[in-house]
Amino acid sequence: MKPFSYVACDSVEEACEALEAYPGDARVLAGGTDLLIELRRPGAVWPRALVDVSRVGALWGVEARGGGVRVGPMATHAEVAASPVVRRAAGLLAAAAAAVGSPQIRNRGTVGGNVMNAATCADTVPPLVALGARLTLQSPQGRRTVAIAELFERPYKTRARADEVLTDIEFAALPGGSRSAFVKLGRRNALAIARLSVAAVVRRDAAGVIAEARLVPGAALPVWRRVAEAEAMLVGQRPSPELLAAAGRRVAEAMIGETGRRWSTEYKEPVIAVLVRRALEACCDGPAGEAA
Amino acid sequence: MSEPMATMTLHTTVNGRACALEIDPRHTLLDLLRDTLGLTGTKRGCEVGECGACTVLLDGVAVNACLVPAPQVEGRQITTVEGLGAGATLTPLQEAFLDHEAVHCGFCTPGMLMSARDLLDHHPAPVERDIRAAISGNLCRCSGYVQIVEAIAEAAEREARPNGGPSPAKETQ
Repeated sequence: MKPFSYVACDSVEEACEALEAYPGDARVLAGGTDLLIELRRPGAVWPRALVDVSRVGALWGVEARGGGVRVGPMATHAEVAASPVVRRAAGLLAAAAAAVGSPQIRNRGTVGGNVMNAATCADTVPPLVALGARLTLQSPQGRRTVAIAELFERPYKTRARADEVLTDIEFAALPGGSRSAFVKLGRRNALAIARLSVAAVVRRDAAGVIAEARLVPGAALPVWRRVAEAEAMLVGQRPSPELLAAAGRRVAEAMIGETGRRWSTEYKEPVIAVLVRRALEACCDGPAGEAA
Repeated sequence: MSEPMATMTLHTTVNGRACALEIDPRHTLLDLLRDTLGLTGTKRGCEVGECGACTVLLDGVAVNACLVPAPQVEGRQITTVEGLGAGATLTPLQEAFLDHEAVHCGFCTPGMLMSARDLLDHHPAPVERDIRAAISGNLCRCSGYVQIVEAIAEAAEREARPNGGPSPAKETQ
């Protein structure tokens, strides 16, 4: 077995240096809830080093910042789900964090880990894409900020370099009058890996007409994106059962357009349409302009 | 930068006792508890964080010991099922499990107790929904959930009483 080092870091700089010291053969350790499962699989190859960033104080916390929210990558799902700041500014993210795994997983698993692991079933990513989150990555060469939608290359593969550490997740609060929802379908209520999920935001004007819509399906597309073609159907319209169902079908079409017809399509096609409709119904329930 | 390591020294507190241990840095908290410390009350179940049989408290919060790398507990406080009572004395929570026949085969019991401990420490007056949510990460392969939920509800009531004893109705039986 090759030599192994566990590197406990006190700062982002230390973590970047450690990653640089084991080029391509180090893994960042945050909450460990995905990484340990991966490393325990039969035939899994351990990296030369685990670079533990869990003690880096600069990566902790959830706070309001400049009209928006800053989520430290080490913030746990439990923290985010319970955060009054997140619940007020972006209810769909709090709902998604509350839908992750189990209490034990939510106490350990982090939002930063969820993003950087880039699993297609990641619960917090569709809301963050819907929120237009900006990610800051730090390396020995400096810092850069990218839109979250630009981070992902393919499932389980980000465009972050091997020596980069995610330091900040930031997004603007949803505009006043917006309603949001996160809907997830798993095989059971707790500990479910999302088969499909939907993050939705709808803002209606005082007359009840949809002024803005954001739709991001999870575990449906190779990489996450807002389905602009379905969003455009909604804007300028009043919500009706037919309209919301049609938007759902449009998302299903977009999914098939990108993935082609596969063994799972027979199931996913009608189900994603229903999940989109349900998410939109949750956003359009009650009088227009009521914040939630 | 640290040199490649075969073992490392870890300082942690388990059930109130400070320890310095030589560990393999690839081990988990579960390996540490069961194999290094011989605390086998914490069960090795699925080892992928789904069954909850290895649930322990890390700084007072329920976690799956199978998913915590052992080096990450440096300087932290761990409570296992062995740390709940004092010697042979059971806590009101453990007594409630016995009184409600919430222990069937017993494999899930330590994890259930630790998830319940986390709940009662943070929400001393839970409603049934809270209890069900708190043990949603723990599987009971005997499917004895009803008794477990009842036991935790009873434990909350007992802990709310000053002496932590059984309910007055039970004393007259």
